[in-house]
Amino acid sequence: MTVPALHTTRRGIISLSASAMLAGAGRQAAAAPSGTLTIASHISLAPTWFDPAETSGIITPFMLMYAMHDAIAKAMPNDPMAPCLAESWTMSPDGLSHEFVLRSGVHFHNGDTMTAEDVKFSFERYRGVSHQLMKDRVEAVETPDPLRVRFRLKSPWPDFLTFYAAASGAGWIVPKKYVEKIGEDAFKKAPVGAGPYRFVSFTPGVSLVLEAFDGYWRKKPSIRQIVIKVIPDEATRLAALQRGEVDIAYSIRGELAEEMQRVPGLSLKPAIGSAPYWLYFPEQWDPKSPWHDHRVRQAVNLAIDRKTMNEALTLGHSHLTGSQFPENFDFFWQPPLPVFDMAAAKKLLADAGFKNGFDAGDYYCDAAYANMGEVAINNLQELGVRVNLRPLERAAFFRSYSEKQLKNIIQGGSGAFGNCATRAEVFVVKGGTYAYGNYPDIDALFAEQATEMDINKRTAILHKLQQLAHEKTIYVPLWQLAFLSGVGPRVDQSGIGLIKGYVYTAPYEDMTLKAGA
Amino acid sequence: MQHFILRRIGYSLVSLFLLSLTIFLFVRLTGDPASLLVEPGASAADIAAIHRQLGLDQPLWIQYWHFVSSFIQGDLGKSFYYNTPVLDLYFQRLPNSLLLAAVAMAFSLLIGIPSGIMAAVNVGGPWDSIGKVFALLGLSLPSFWVALVMILFFSVYLGWLPSSGSGTFLHLLMPAFALGWYFAAAHMRLTRSSMLEVLGSEYVKLARIKGLPERLVIGKHAFKNALLPVVTLAGINLVVMINVAVVVETVFAWPGIGRLLYEGITFRDFPIVQGVVVVGGAMIVAVNLIIDILYAFIDPRIRLES
Repeated sequence: MTVPALHTTRRGIISLSASAMLAGAGRQAAAAPSGTLTIASHISLAPTWFDPAETSGIITPFMLMYAMHDAIAKAMPNDPMAPCLAESWTMSPDGLSHEFVLRSGVHFHNGDTMTAEDVKFSFERYRGVSHQLMKDRVEAVETPDPLRVRFRLKSPWPDFLTFYAAASGAGWIVPKKYVEKIGEDAFKKAPVGAGPYRFVSFTPGVSLVLEAFDGYWRKKPSIRQIVIKVIPDEATRLAALQRGEVDIAYSIRGELAEEMQRVPGLSLKPAIGSAPYWLYFPEQWDPKSPWHDHRVRQAVNLAIDRKTMNEALTLGHSHLTGSQFPENFDFFWQPPLPVFDMAAAKKLLADAGFKNGFDAGDYYCDAAYANMGEVAINNLQELGVRVNLRPLERAAFFRSYSEKQLKNIIQGGSGAFGNCATRAEVFVVKGGTYAYGNYPDIDALFAEQATEMDINKRTAILHKLQQLAHEKTIYVPLWQLAFLSGVGPRVDQSGIGLIKGYVYTAPYEDMTLKAGA
Repeated sequence: MQHFILRRIGYSLVSLFLLSLTIFLFVRLTGDPASLLVEPGASAADIAAIHRQLGLDQPLWIQYWHFVSSFIQGDLGKSFYYNTPVLDLYFQRLPNSLLLAAVAMAFSLLIGIPSGIMAAVNVGGPWDSIGKVFALLGLSLPSFWVALVMILFFSVYLGWLPSSGSGTFLHLLMPAFALGWYFAAAHMRLTRSSMLEVLGSEYVKLARIKGLPERLVIGKHAFKNALLPVVTLAGINLVVMINVAVVVETVFAWPGIGRLLYEGITFRDFPIVQGVVVVGGAMIVAVNLIIDILYAFIDPRIRLES
């Protein structure tokens, strides 16, 4: 696999030279960055997020990494794995090594030039949650020349690139000499990266100030300064947006989002993340349980009025994909779109022997998303499936969920990185953290894909796996949640929603303010 | 006297020990911080790695010993979330909390004491009724509601004041009012009841019989004596304001200790919650200790009774 191959024909060279000249001219002609854009963040910024080596596995740190750092490859508009600090990469035919050709002339904010040593150093110092996994699978990192890095694996690993470049901070590059000179702790206080914005100042819990980096390889940012202010309260964020104190306010939901739409000059920007939500029936493997009957699970699938739920809670912006896998993930298979048909649902339930419905016990959910549960329970009551809503505090919910302590109905969801295989491993197949049971045919497909290096064959296997999961109605998918943010009148391009599956502003260098703002 | 002071110090140390143990155990009842540092769906190995990194894989008594021994050496531990020493975070936020508490306290005293005096002097009159309504609202309206209404009115509709943040005097006005109203009400009620008690005393009656002007009776004889319990309460309230302005600081995005505590609770950042609570508790214990000792100096009956 090579991305992207440059055609070294005469026409190709002429075309490339012309493009380079145009790009150069464009860069010269590009106006100097100007203006300040202020973002109101819903969550406090942590200094660990300044350091790719500390990436814990949640998506939020990427809010800052897209600004201050750059990666070998990362998700960009229209490309989930766009070459960035690497121009191209290849995998050996035996799948045991991956070689990256680095972009030449890339500079860090302190002026150091990026080399293969920085890439190796960044990989080796990575200590986030996927650290052990990668350490176990990578035999060695070699640097045959300053612009070439080779990863030798202990055994073929089809998901190497997913983990290295997307699901962890290991592929985000920091300057080796600088880190070694100032030390690990000092790096978090004065981070240096190769991203479009350089660090200026940080006040914990208050704000982060970033300034445009003129030397960014992709393009010169248009906005001179980005300020990220922490405003924890949602109503206060909206007030700050209304007053023009901030230009972008993350996470404005429900009634406040509706109100925002009525304010002249403000606009609602929905972005679909990588977090589908679903209903799960942990007793479907128990022959004595009503959930064991496939028709009962299908009835629930038909009885959920997702469209109404979507309009009521996320103003219609969530995606009703009908899948428990994120639509933006590699190997995604699109099942038939969900249908709301209460009559058909009741008939299926009656056919299963529950003409008068049944008492289904408890409906467990993360308390933060109990509003979805309330809508779903209304639909279930109408169907005749009587349940009690049991919202649990987030950590308690996920602990109970993973420890297999919940029963009856579980409303779950996940925004974890990865691809459809990594998602299936955790939620569908035998031994998965959140899998209460398993189906041997699905397990066999999972085992088969884990060693399949042919991308087409692997895609076909994973599509089949998802199809089986859909046919068995292991899950009743609800939606892929939309993250709603507000944008003020000064902003021309907010960057929200440009990258599929990513909910914050990015790429920062593409963000613009309106003329005169 | 020495005995009295030593005993009081002993009580204070026991209080601090119990506080540290209680908060240490209580924060651990709230759940696993690792689950908030990874996306749902993270593997057990990922979570175990975070436990190791944060020292949560060790037995509870060892964790407690680390906490207490570090605290004695002036180290409150390192924040799970910020990966920064809690003491650094605390001292970064302390000036903001002191400023907010000082302005809120000034407001609460400037409103609370005069209105309490007016209410006591005019019992059953219009000033008393106004004061009672003011106190009732201050004590009963939730501060988050007051804060949001103020933001809506003064920031969004009138556009007079910034909605949140810090940096200028204007940023301070709404949080100080929202925080100070409750305490103003408390000070008003205490001033009123204290004044009523003093105004009914023999020496005030004597002053009036002697024909002293009412202004002098109230200002010189009654007020000075009625002020003592109010000042005592204000001293304790100041410490409380510094440490527990959680809601007000969160709504106004005011970067103080209350918000630090909120962040600690939100992210199950045990070192932050433990540190803020124990330092806050230590302040209150210290203030009480000083007051006890001062009282004992002023009034020999207290130390003799003890």
